[in-house]
Amino acid sequence: MFKFKNLGGVLGLVLGLAMMSGTAHAQDCTTKIGAVLPTSVDWGRPIAETAQFAVDQVNAAGGVAGCQIEMVLRDTQVDPKVGVDAAKALVDLDGVSVLLGAVSSGVSMPILTSVTVPSGVLQMSCCSSSTAFTGLAEEGKTKGLWFRTFATTGVQSAVGAKVAADQGYKTVAVMYKNDDWGQDMARLIAADFAAVGVEVTSSVAVNDGQPSYRAEVTEALGSQPEALYLALYPAEGTAAVREWISLGGTQNMILANSLKSDEFRDNVGMQYLGSTLGTDTASPRSDSADAFRAAYLERFDSEPNGPGLANSYDAAMIALLAMEAAGKDASGADVAAAIAKVTDPNGTPVSADTAGFAAAKEVLAGGGTVMFQGATGNVRFDGNGDVSAPAVVWSFSESGTDEVEYMSLNEVDAFIASLK
Amino acid sequence: MIGVVSYIVFFATTASILAIAVLGLNLQWGNTGLFNGGVVAFFGAGAYGTLILGGTPQAGHLGGFGLFYPFALLGGMVAAGLMAWVVGLLTLRLRHDYLAIATFGVAVAFENLMRNAEWLAGGAKGVRGFERPLRAALGDGFLYNLLFFAVVLLILIATYLFLERLVSSPFGRLLRAIREDEEAAQSLGKSPSKIRLTAFITGSVILGLAGGLYGTFYAFVSPQDVLPTLTFQIWAMLIVGGAGNNKGAIFGAFLIWGAWTTSGWALSRFAPVEAQLYTGSVQFILIGSVIVGMLMWRPQGLLPERLVVSQRGNPPSNE
Repeated sequence: MFKFKNLGGVLGLVLGLAMMSGTAHAQDCTTKIGAVLPTSVDWGRPIAETAQFAVDQVNAAGGVAGCQIEMVLRDTQVDPKVGVDAAKALVDLDGVSVLLGAVSSGVSMPILTSVTVPSGVLQMSCCSSSTAFTGLAEEGKTKGLWFRTFATTGVQSAVGAKVAADQGYKTVAVMYKNDDWGQDMARLIAADFAAVGVEVTSSVAVNDGQPSYRAEVTEALGSQPEALYLALYPAEGTAAVREWISLGGTQNMILANSLKSDEFRDNVGMQYLGSTLGTDTASPRSDSADAFRAAYLERFDSEPNGPGLANSYDAAMIALLAMEAAGKDASGADVAAAIAKVTDPNGTPVSADTAGFAAAKEVLAGGGTVMFQGATGNVRFDGNGDVSAPAVVWSFSESGTDEVEYMSLNEVDAFIASLK
Repeated sequence: MIGVVSYIVFFATTASILAIAVLGLNLQWGNTGLFNGGVVAFFGAGAYGTLILGGTPQAGHLGGFGLFYPFALLGGMVAAGLMAWVVGLLTLRLRHDYLAIATFGVAVAFENLMRNAEWLAGGAKGVRGFERPLRAALGDGFLYNLLFFAVVLLILIATYLFLERLVSSPFGRLLRAIREDEEAAQSLGKSPSKIRLTAFITGSVILGLAGGLYGTFYAFVSPQDVLPTLTFQIWAMLIVGGAGNNKGAIFGAFLIWGAWTTSGWALSRFAPVEAQLYTGSVQFILIGSVIVGMLMWRPQGLLPERLVVSQRGNPPSNE
């Protein structure tokens, strides 16, 4: 009996030592945060890596409230049941008060309604785009615990409408990816087009992985629009646009940021994309965005090009900054309340890197507020936990994309307000 | 400590809901031999039906009838049953793999309908705005989860007892007769097609019940909840637990769901930091291996069906 106890003690000691030597800055405490992300999916893994990257930077700056941060990562398998269970385990077993994730709206939503809101845990998603969250927040059912750094849906549709109006198009056909993002885009762009006086002649859903999109293209073409708006991903986008052009459709196209890809440009062909304009949310014109790019490049040997990377970084960073502002052992609601302190437009600007976090710590310790200048811009949440962002209009060039027009955050907000 | 208890209650609730679904499939496959490859469609009909009938009004799609909860749940079961009736009339003349393919197609069609028909169920965004019953009185916390678990457990036990009675009744014997040799059953004056349809609808209503509870538990359902993965999971639970044995069905549900969640938890805790990003993929390999291993070494399941002689003939008299 005694033997076993001793064995346990030795094991514990060994484990403890191993853990301590594992962290660069051996501190007395660790604070856990949870992350539920689809790491078993190819595009999900870099999102998780980027979140961990933010955590590493914060730990290098001495951690949060004097404690090192450990991000416990769980896979959602893009299955709501699995994601919810993982979130519940993180909250109940690991005792996290901050949860990053999930990516799919269909996973984030049940986590929000059945785990984080009942448990009073802050949930910060990088990438869930559904407008259902805004509705839920407006009904007061998120209790202010829900935030997301994914801004593109509302901003993009507004800027898309601005492009159509600026180009003088009177009629536009819309083709959209048939998922929650695409359906939202189609609905929002229809409203925004109407607001700027552009008629939507037809709105066609495009499913993934079809061998041909002739039926869809014919339907859009039949309405004889002056221009085509595309909210598609590169694979379906390429196939649809090829058929569109071969059937004599117009080359006046407006693209959502999902088609800002070299693959799409090369497979369609530059000669057909001369009068095509795209929209995207933009990096801010600030040193912090450059700092993020540089740090990312150094860490991963590649540019942060990929869905949700900048958003994931900002989600993790803002959550950690808010934890710092809320102090040690803060509850999820405290951290949520502290988010305003780290995204204050009148606060001291801090950059998105280790030095920025260290600077923020000093300001917050002195009772000040900071404005986090993140990888996706000067992130500022509205009352529903949604963000706006600067935007850019771009066109394809031989070497990649060229910027046509840049809209600052204030210009975007003003334009969106003018549509209402 | 309270965290562990709270998590176990949460886990057991999900597992119990899945166990109810596995019981429904067991009636169809284990007892009647109907290969339902579209489990998720009936599960989804129950979930969507319950949330649409019991939810608060939502702009842009059907729903918000705010029915008294038991009626909403019942409505979800009726929706699943109605769908099973239509599907059954159309497909039950098919056998084995043909039936599997046809029902699988129904499930994919169901998912696509829910994804596209925004007027019906919100499209890809799903149905939200459901107020969980008694939430106002009990709050949102541990107490609520505990009581919800108790209710789900009671429903699971009731379903189990109902099916045990059904299976040991003459009707249950008839189901097995049809499963083993349909023509023999027919030659005895039975009507296999009618019985098959009855069993299919009954099983689907139970699947719908599980779906309704699932939707209630999450207060949300979207097309992502009705992907073919769920059909696969429920089948895996039945095969591992033991087709044809109701205890096996429940045991399989708890075991597979336990393995599914514990492996994720254990990997996140014990895998080295560098491997953390790959635990999701490792988990898939582990789960797949368990199922392959079961099929190779114990294809009848952990608790195989016990064949019973339900009525002994009279002993031959000596006179």
